[in-house]
Amino acid sequence: MNRRHLYIALAGFCFVTLLALAWSAPDLPSTIDRSQRSLKPWEYWPLGTDMNGRPLIEYASQGARVIAIPSFLAGILVAFFGMMGGLLRCVEWPTIQTMVQFIGEIVGALPRMVVILVVALLLPTEWRSLMPLAVVWAILCAPGAIDEAGAVAARLGGTRFVEALKAHGFGAWRIYMHHIVVLNLRPVLVRQGAEAMMTVAFLEVALSYLAVVEDQSSFTHSDNLRSWADLLKEGYLWLALGIDSGHVLFVGLGLLGLVVLTATALGKAAEAR
Amino acid sequence: MKYWWIQPSARALVAVALPLLVPALITALIWSLPGNPAEIICPPSICTGGEELAARWHLDQGPWAFYGHWMSSALQLDFGDSWRVLTGRPVIELMAQTIPNTLILIGFALIPITVGSVLGAFQQPSKRWDSVLVFLSVLPVVVLALLAAAIVELNFAGSGDDGLGYWVRMMAAALTLGIADGALSGSILGNRSMFEQENQQRYVGISILRGESNFSNTLPNLAGALVGQYRSRIVQLLSGAVIVEVIVRVDGFGALLWRGTLMQDFGVVLAAATVFACLSSGLLFFQALVEVLQNLHQRRAPKLTLESTEVVR
Amino acid sequence: MKKSWMLGGLLLTSAVLGTAVEVQFYDESLPITLNPLFATTMVDNRAHELYFDRLYYNNPTDNSLTSRLIDESQTKIEDAGKSLRLTIKDGINWHNGKKFTANDICFTIDAMLNVRTPSPIAHYYREHLASCTVEKSNVAKVTFKRVYHNPRERLKFFVLPKSEFSSTAVQPDTEFANQPVGTGPMKGRMGTLAARFEAHTKTSHHSPKIGAMKMSQAQDPAVQISTLRNGAMHGIVSVPPIYRPELQTESEVQLRSYDLRSWWFIALNTTSGPLASKEVRQALNYSLDRSELREKSIGFDKNDKESPCEFISGPFVQSSAYYNHEVPPVEFTDKRKAEALLNAAGLEKNGLWFHEGKPVALRIGMDAKLGKEATDLLTQIANQLSEAGFTTRISKISSDDWNRKAITGQLTKEYDMLIGKWSFGINEDVNDLFQTRSETKFQGRHNIFNYSNPEVDSTLVEYEKARTTDGAKNAYHKLHSQLADDLPYLFLWKLDTKSAWRAEVKDITISPYYYFTDINRWYVSKSK
Repeated sequence: MNRRHLYIALAGFCFVTLLALAWSAPDLPSTIDRSQRSLKPWEYWPLGTDMNGRPLIEYASQGARVIAIPSFLAGILVAFFGMMGGLLRCVEWPTIQTMVQFIGEIVGALPRMVVILVVALLLPTEWRSLMPLAVVWAILCAPGAIDEAGAVAARLGGTRFVEALKAHGFGAWRIYMHHIVVLNLRPVLVRQGAEAMMTVAFLEVALSYLAVVEDQSSFTHSDNLRSWADLLKEGYLWLALGIDSGHVLFVGLGLLGLVVLTATALGKAAEAR
Repeated sequence: MKYWWIQPSARALVAVALPLLVPALITALIWSLPGNPAEIICPPSICTGGEELAARWHLDQGPWAFYGHWMSSALQLDFGDSWRVLTGRPVIELMAQTIPNTLILIGFALIPITVGSVLGAFQQPSKRWDSVLVFLSVLPVVVLALLAAAIVELNFAGSGDDGLGYWVRMMAAALTLGIADGALSGSILGNRSMFEQENQQRYVGISILRGESNFSNTLPNLAGALVGQYRSRIVQLLSGAVIVEVIVRVDGFGALLWRGTLMQDFGVVLAAATVFACLSSGLLFFQALVEVLQNLHQRRAPKLTLESTEVVR
Repeated sequence: MKKSWMLGGLLLTSAVLGTAVEVQFYDESLPITLNPLFATTMVDNRAHELYFDRLYYNNPTDNSLTSRLIDESQTKIEDAGKSLRLTIKDGINWHNGKKFTANDICFTIDAMLNVRTPSPIAHYYREHLASCTVEKSNVAKVTFKRVYHNPRERLKFFVLPKSEFSSTAVQPDTEFANQPVGTGPMKGRMGTLAARFEAHTKTSHHSPKIGAMKMSQAQDPAVQISTLRNGAMHGIVSVPPIYRPELQTESEVQLRSYDLRSWWFIALNTTSGPLASKEVRQALNYSLDRSELREKSIGFDKNDKESPCEFISGPFVQSSAYYNHEVPPVEFTDKRKAEALLNAAGLEKNGLWFHEGKPVALRIGMDAKLGKEATDLLTQIANQLSEAGFTTRISKISSDDWNRKAITGQLTKEYDMLIGKWSFGINEDVNDLFQTRSETKFQGRHNIFNYSNPEVDSTLVEYEKARTTDGAKNAYHKLHSQLADDLPYLFLWKLDTKSAWRAEVKDITISPYYYFTDINRWYVSKSK
């Protein structure tokens, strides 16, 4: 088993853990029980309880349910856009390339959080979930992925590379999908996709935290679900006031770390040899 | 490349279009929502006079009329009044109050990024520090902002609006912004790899053999890319500023945008989004200009001395 | 010698009174507007009480109707009770230094009567006021639409300055909304982070001892409590019940009651599916365990003899004269009764309750700001109803949507149950909550789910027509019984509101509802 396999295994394990947490999430948080408040993980398996006596595993699983699929989809979308950008450099379509570049400049110039907030503001309440925001985020990240993949394709030689492989007798599918995408664009696409996945998770935590602070409905999930931001909010009280909720903060950071580990491991696994 | 001017032209065109496009898009989206903002203040079932209010806010003649009126006023720096955040206060006043705080925040946040960029250009720190830099790069802004907010609240709660409390709040927020979400590590690693690759080019080796410094040769060639990176970092900082200002309680433009979003104050959101778009436009235009100058510099014929022309003869 | 004694006395007084201290306090949020015609929240009302004077107000000490602006010895009822001639006291000035005159009273009334003023508050006064005439610079004659046995009760509005407006069509988005001019004890303006107040001393009718105040938006309650304890802030207007025990042990902080006469409810959508049936509503009433909700969300302590939270069975607080003590509240769940009622209503249970072949799914919303006072109440109620066999879907409703849509009856298609709170001052008129909504007759303005019951309507008309206190009481006692049976609301509890103020802030009298009515008496002492 070489390093690549280890990274793949690590990424797979982390992501499966996230999915398992998401799948096991209850529809509603459990009833408050203050007799069990602020118990540490070794006092209340597996992650302890919050200030209201609610098990932290519920926050972990519900937060994973909010984040898992939208962030994964955002990663796939970014990778897809990047792939299209790279492939575009390998075909002789200057008009399309110019149009894509123009649109990419516009999209890339927009401050992302501003766009996300405007979209969040305008979403009807019944549509509020992380998915539309994740899709918008992926579109906003796409120009970067397109540029980077395009640069890699350009370094390969672009259309000349394709012509050379055609001369060797390879078919179009093999040339574009295997030689260009899998063998050459893969590191860029996977890294960009993994980064997008990670930043969508961070975005969800940020937006939910801002809503929690204002005691408002979150933009990213329905109110029967809890976000990892609730863990950070409680953990903040330990930082600021020394209230007994330090373990809550570490659980929240640990869960974010799971996402980071998934993204980093994926990126490392896909690195060029 | 024969058509080198296409990319900077595209950027310049986008820079001009962006401040027009963003408010147009938001206007279109506002009109797609049911009801109108005037109903927040004057729900039709319990209040009369809502029609007049809608007329005052130019909401009664359709999206084009609203957009046209808003744009023509905005060009005269009249962004209308806040509808909900501070009802009746001109948005330009709110901006005048908040933008300086955000500029100070971004300015200070650019210090670690600039230092990181310079270090990266000089191939510092060495690669054994990469794991630390990667760790820094994955710290989410909300986590660092919480830490900053905790420090400020512990020491300056209730008195953080002026004096020492204000500056501590700004420094903490700026440090958060400058480090989190890969800002610092991205500037170091990005510049380091960019200069590393460029230093491996043949012309750099030749210039070193000629006794020139590699910077005087690589910098002009990388100017466009450097400005592009800086621009994207500033745009990233502008995005992150929204989160940091709310959590650390800085009275900045990002916090104003957040409040406007929560309270459905379209007057504020429209103005704030347009200002962000203008800032982005300005940076894009600057990048286009630098690229043009870079390309012109690269394509200028070198000056020949009298001795070299005699040698050629 | 005499001069030095006077100077010494002044210095000592200012040292004791500490008038240079800016009193800083937290309120739930910043005011939305400082124009009283457009107030939507309790925060607005509290801030307006500092900047403005109401023409008439209830004295917090003895509840008597009184006025700082009108010389009552010269007030006359005319036109067989349909008019009131008001004479202004001398020496009253606006914050901008201009004299307060009868023109200002008539301007305020004209603004409220002008249909182009988009104010829900003005809409209410149009029902009662007919006109206002300036007879002299200090005499105004107010005419009502009908005879009232106590017409001054209809004049409890904040007075606006004519000099600050160009027409009687007052709009909400003028500069006045954040830089008001009033006759109140404080002047100032609102910023993005705080509302600031400075003492208005250049007038005969106010003499505030506190020189300056600053209202900041509430943060996390734990942070608020911490800043209050370490002296960075002087007060918190509303302390969540869970945090009160720890403040009670503080020697430097005092908890004080703020009488809001507020009661909590779950409004039921009587037009929606199974909830149209009274038996189903009654079953829901028995499905809730209010005792558990109170314990878990409010932090009720069984050993606490002075509980801040008291169950109710109707639309009044238990201490109200209108409360019908013969109708007992339902404290605990009664599953057998609930099931019997649901079966009688034609529902079937198969794990979940089914109505016409479909599982009963309840869409529950809650006013988001209630979350600070009652932790996780929405989730607790959803859990209890889930255990009772209903599917639930919950959401928090922002203050804007609550004021704009919920209380105006526009959420009937989106929700089945709405959790909220009503607060009352001296006037506990609940007609607007239960009367059949009619925009032409200006009825049922706050009827959340457009509830309509002819028997209830006729009881409410009885109350309106009552000319004696007993008549009003009897009508409302009857209403209480009717509502407890028909259940357009599930009545939950009355929850006391408590404020916390540092001990150095002295002579605090917190008036019901408006809070700062007696701010002139407050002062800050250097000694605790």
